[in-house]
Amino acid sequence: MRKFWAVVKREYVQRVRSRMFLVVTVGAPLMFALFTVVPVLMASIKTGGPTRVAVSDETGRMFERVRDALVSGRGDDDEDEDETAAAAPEAMNQNSRAHLEQMAKASEQGFEVERVEAGGRTTEEIKAQLNGRVSRGELDAYIILPRDVLGGGEAQYYARNVGDVFTRGQVRGALVRAAREARLDERGIGPEVMRAVNQPLRVKTARAGGGGEEDKGQAFWLVFGVGFVIYLTILMYGQVILGAIIEEKETRIAEILFSSIRSFPLMFGKMIGVSLVALTQFAIWGLALAALSLYGAATLAGRGGLPEEFQLNIPASVYAYLVLFFLLGYFIYASLYALVGSMVTTSQEGGQLAMPIIIVLVIGFYMAFPVIRSPGSPFAFWISLVPFFAPITMLIRIVTQTPPFWQIALSLAIGFATVALLLWLAARVYRVGMLMYGKRATIPEVLRWIRRP
Amino acid sequence: MSEQQPTLRLERVTKRFDDFTAVDELSMEVRAGRVFGLLGPNGAGKTTTIRMIVGITAPDEGRLELFGQPVTPELQNRIGYLPEERGLYKRMKVGDQLKFFSELKGFSGRAADEAVDRWLEKVKLSEWKRKKSSELSKGMQQKVQFIAAVMHDPDLLILDEPFSGLDPVNVELLKDLVLELKAAGKTIIFSTHQMEVAERICDDICLINRSRKVLDGSIREIKSGFGRNSVALRFEGEGGGALEDARLVASVEHHSDYMEALLAPGADAQELLRRLLAAGARVTRFELVEPSLHDIFIEKVSGG
Repeated sequence: MRKFWAVVKREYVQRVRSRMFLVVTVGAPLMFALFTVVPVLMASIKTGGPTRVAVSDETGRMFERVRDALVSGRGDDDEDEDETAAAAPEAMNQNSRAHLEQMAKASEQGFEVERVEAGGRTTEEIKAQLNGRVSRGELDAYIILPRDVLGGGEAQYYARNVGDVFTRGQVRGALVRAAREARLDERGIGPEVMRAVNQPLRVKTARAGGGGEEDKGQAFWLVFGVGFVIYLTILMYGQVILGAIIEEKETRIAEILFSSIRSFPLMFGKMIGVSLVALTQFAIWGLALAALSLYGAATLAGRGGLPEEFQLNIPASVYAYLVLFFLLGYFIYASLYALVGSMVTTSQEGGQLAMPIIIVLVIGFYMAFPVIRSPGSPFAFWISLVPFFAPITMLIRIVTQTPPFWQIALSLAIGFATVALLLWLAARVYRVGMLMYGKRATIPEVLRWIRRP
Repeated sequence: MSEQQPTLRLERVTKRFDDFTAVDELSMEVRAGRVFGLLGPNGAGKTTTIRMIVGITAPDEGRLELFGQPVTPELQNRIGYLPEERGLYKRMKVGDQLKFFSELKGFSGRAADEAVDRWLEKVKLSEWKRKKSSELSKGMQQKVQFIAAVMHDPDLLILDEPFSGLDPVNVELLKDLVLELKAAGKTIIFSTHQMEVAERICDDICLINRSRKVLDGSIREIKSGFGRNSVALRFEGEGGGALEDARLVASVEHHSDYMEALLAPGADAQELLRRLLAAGARVTRFELVEPSLHDIFIEKVSGG
């Protein structure tokens, strides 16, 4: 036991003291901030002040509405979104979409809207005059609203910069909203009725038979969060574990170690040592994040409290399961890395051999979807017992339709037994493989070593 | 520990790797307080034998007893081992590294700190304690590894080719330390294929070749039992045909400034000297030499 702790201590102290640890601990959040904040900042930079738009309203009933819609910055929401989404590169996920909306908002430097009096001129004459003003830089864009625009006609938007999808979207949204209001007004429906019609309908979701508390699906997102953190941790620390296992082979220290300590406590000690490093790093990040969000919450509270979405409403047992299954997920994949490390002689080789691990991890993510749809199905039951998928699938079952306790316990027991088995295998392969330097073990060899040390 | 009980005893120990037999029915005894040479050419099975002694692998057949018991993890703490495959953690400081290795031997705390300082002082590396081992020269690293093997004060010390790659000054330094440990009553197993070194420090030897024991016993007994007489000889002038006389001299081997004459069976060295003097030669060196371990090794390994 003392020897085991000596190994843990060495792995931990050596890594935490290293310069690399400091760089990653400080650097990673900075990088993250860089990648999330900078694009938004960049997009929000729109030089040249407000967009100057001239509107030629041939209907005579649209101008005020268009101006109000543009200046208030609130276009018709649905339409607005469609335009932005279509204009932006495809395959956008939720996140970058939210970004784009944010960027569009940020670019709201406002519009300066002026009315163009037709004064008996034809549309072509007006366009010619406005084109001239745009090319002289007196205007940025103009809008022609033909007489039939409310009856199915086409509004025309001419701009110097048609590539500015944000402004384009806003203009389009404003026009749609103005047209809708004008059409309703035409039919004698006043603004009050409109407001009443447009009032949103809230849908409250709660678990049947529960206490009636609203479920906002946060638990579900939390599970995905945990899955993502497992993924991230393995991505970051899998290589570290691999390196820690291979270190003694590359430096040829293994022989001294094995003349002093059994291979299982050695393997296990390395695993715990590296994992503590990961935990330390996460704790530092977690505390920093907590401090930041407390600061944020305090400022928000000053402005009237936290928005409802951020008030978590999750039973404490779920938190306990989140932690347990996170640890399970981490150790399952970490011990796979240890097994790979025990078979190879250099970290490059290890990197190649470790690819399938990541693939299994990703498959585990996809398993989540069928489980969400029918958490009580036999498929969900069996898949949540498979150790490599249990961390995500069992958690999903817990937050959607909590299975009986024995199933959760069984899943955890199988999972941690698998971890122990994998480490035991890794220790065995490692010890036998050590006796043959410089050669990567083939699978039949490994199988033979496992049978006979 | 009684004088009678050997520190280590192997009884018909066999180890196979797949279809290759690395050690074949090896029996030997290492007596307490002696320097025991485990000799043999490369690939003879020395390292495999040592790995079984230190508990890295287990014998397939036969018995192996250490201090009168089968090898257990607790007994491993009483062994110090300097493997031939040597390594140190590159980015770890020398002092930390030594403390880690001694912790793995169940030796820690202040006593370990003091041992680190004392041994670094002994091998003249004190000022390197806080340096990373990657900054050390190969010879320095080897001395650090030596310390790792001895600092927890083991009763049995196993050194696998401890002097290879060292300069003569450091060879002397380590050799003196080994003899010091012997004087302190430690048992030392010394594995090498360099017979000159073994000859200088071993009391007993076991010679193995192709996985099997060829010969063992104390160096004294082995040499005297090895009936071979030769004379180291240097002279000026005519030898008067004495060296060519087959009744007297079996063969002559020429070295840079002397020659070695192997006497014919039953021949008397005094007779050879008399014949040379009678022929008017000026004899400047005439010395009866024992067979060297080297000669025995060559003869046993190539002849056997």
